[in-house]
Amino acid sequence: MFDTGAGARREPHLAAVAATAAASPEALLHRTALGEDEAFASLYDLMAPRVYGLCVRVLRDPAQAEEVAQEVLVEVWRTATRFDERRGSASAWITTIAHRRAVDRVRSAQAAGDRERRAAASGAEPEYDTVAETAASRLEHRQVRRCLKTLTELQRQAVTLAYYGGHTYRQVATLLETAVPTVKTRIRDGLAKLRDCLEVAR
Amino acid sequence: MSTDVHTLIGPWVLDAVDDDERRLVDEHLAACVSCAQEAAELREAVWRLSDVTLAEPPAALRERVLAEVRRTRQEAPAATEPDAAPRPARRRPRLRLPRLHFPRLRLAVGAAALAAVAAFAGIFAAWTVMRPEEPLESERMIAVLEAPDAEVAYQEADGGGRVTVVASESLDDAVVVVSGLAAVDDDRSYQVWLVDEGGQESAGVMDAGDSSATMLIEGLGDTDLIGVTEEPAGGSTTPTLPMVADVALPA
Repeated sequence: MFDTGAGARREPHLAAVAATAAASPEALLHRTALGEDEAFASLYDLMAPRVYGLCVRVLRDPAQAEEVAQEVLVEVWRTATRFDERRGSASAWITTIAHRRAVDRVRSAQAAGDRERRAAASGAEPEYDTVAETAASRLEHRQVRRCLKTLTELQRQAVTLAYYGGHTYRQVATLLETAVPTVKTRIRDGLAKLRDCLEVAR
Repeated sequence: MSTDVHTLIGPWVLDAVDDDERRLVDEHLAACVSCAQEAAELREAVWRLSDVTLAEPPAALRERVLAEVRRTRQEAPAATEPDAAPRPARRRPRLRLPRLHFPRLRLAVGAAALAAVAAFAGIFAAWTVMRPEEPLESERMIAVLEAPDAEVAYQEADGGGRVTVVASESLDDAVVVVSGLAAVDDDRSYQVWLVDEGGQESAGVMDAGDSSATMLIEGLGDTDLIGVTEEPAGGSTTPTLPMVADVALPA
């Protein structure tokens, strides 16, 4: 997997990482809001792997994920003018748009009735994707995994089923055969733990 | 019902609610500053879950996105989030602390809430409000700090220190925390003023020589600004300008 070919493929990533230090997502998003194409292109390089990867994970269909990722990234361009830094980071803002769009797509597919057969499979934690992984992401990767381990089993299952699986908390309750109010509480407690763990890790 | 909405914040952050619930939570967060703070904090943690799913997109995607962007007009700036449900016509919070600087007010109860503000305002002196003979005042302060519509504003004062105001429109009350202003002699007092279009009235005079204090203001009315001036001991009938701080309140 990591032959010379793979090594060569990683170079653009290292460039993107270097650009991070020079321009934060916030700075790039602000310049994007001013209509600067180049800033948007840099923002794309920084965030597209996150947006696309999350769409793939939630939708489990690369073709659909590509469509949704395109919608999301164009929406980032279109609505960059409305980003409000006081409400959160640029990364959170963009990732939130991506997740919501992906989940919306899942739900409309569900409404169309073709989701059932995938329900069982999509709950598991994401596989370790060595091909997509970059040197820079590995550290973050480990941090999130370590923090997920601080959750109780039920908290972790509820959070990951909802986030990566795109399920509603009611569906999560069904999947885990647990009462709905319990699932709501476990999700919230789990997220609070995650937050504390990630804050400490910074 | 509002407790019920509140328990949906976790699922909401994960997009694990249905459309109706999403709207309910959006409205709740628009009206509850501490809840919005909690949601923002959770969101800052949740997006990190995507650290685990990074994947290199097909190269063609970049070209397609950049091409579409070239022919896509950007939206006009607006006050609301692009994907939030339309909010009630109510004011949005006009003044905010720099993000995450206010330690989780939602967890604070009773004296703990005061302690949270104390920590924030950098006050380490004894709390005059905690004196047992003033139980009513301290209870009202706590009510302000815990009000769902409590809003916080502060300003660094000229000469050092800071004035922090926590105001609740629904209670029409505010808590003012004056901390660490420039030292004054025993023949000088800091005085707090409520300023509106019609002029100003004194909200209280701090003890002579003191540079920190906490004060409950009952009946904010149309107050636009809370100002602090340095006066002769015991205060003045009109403020001596310039003010050392003038904290604008939510209109």
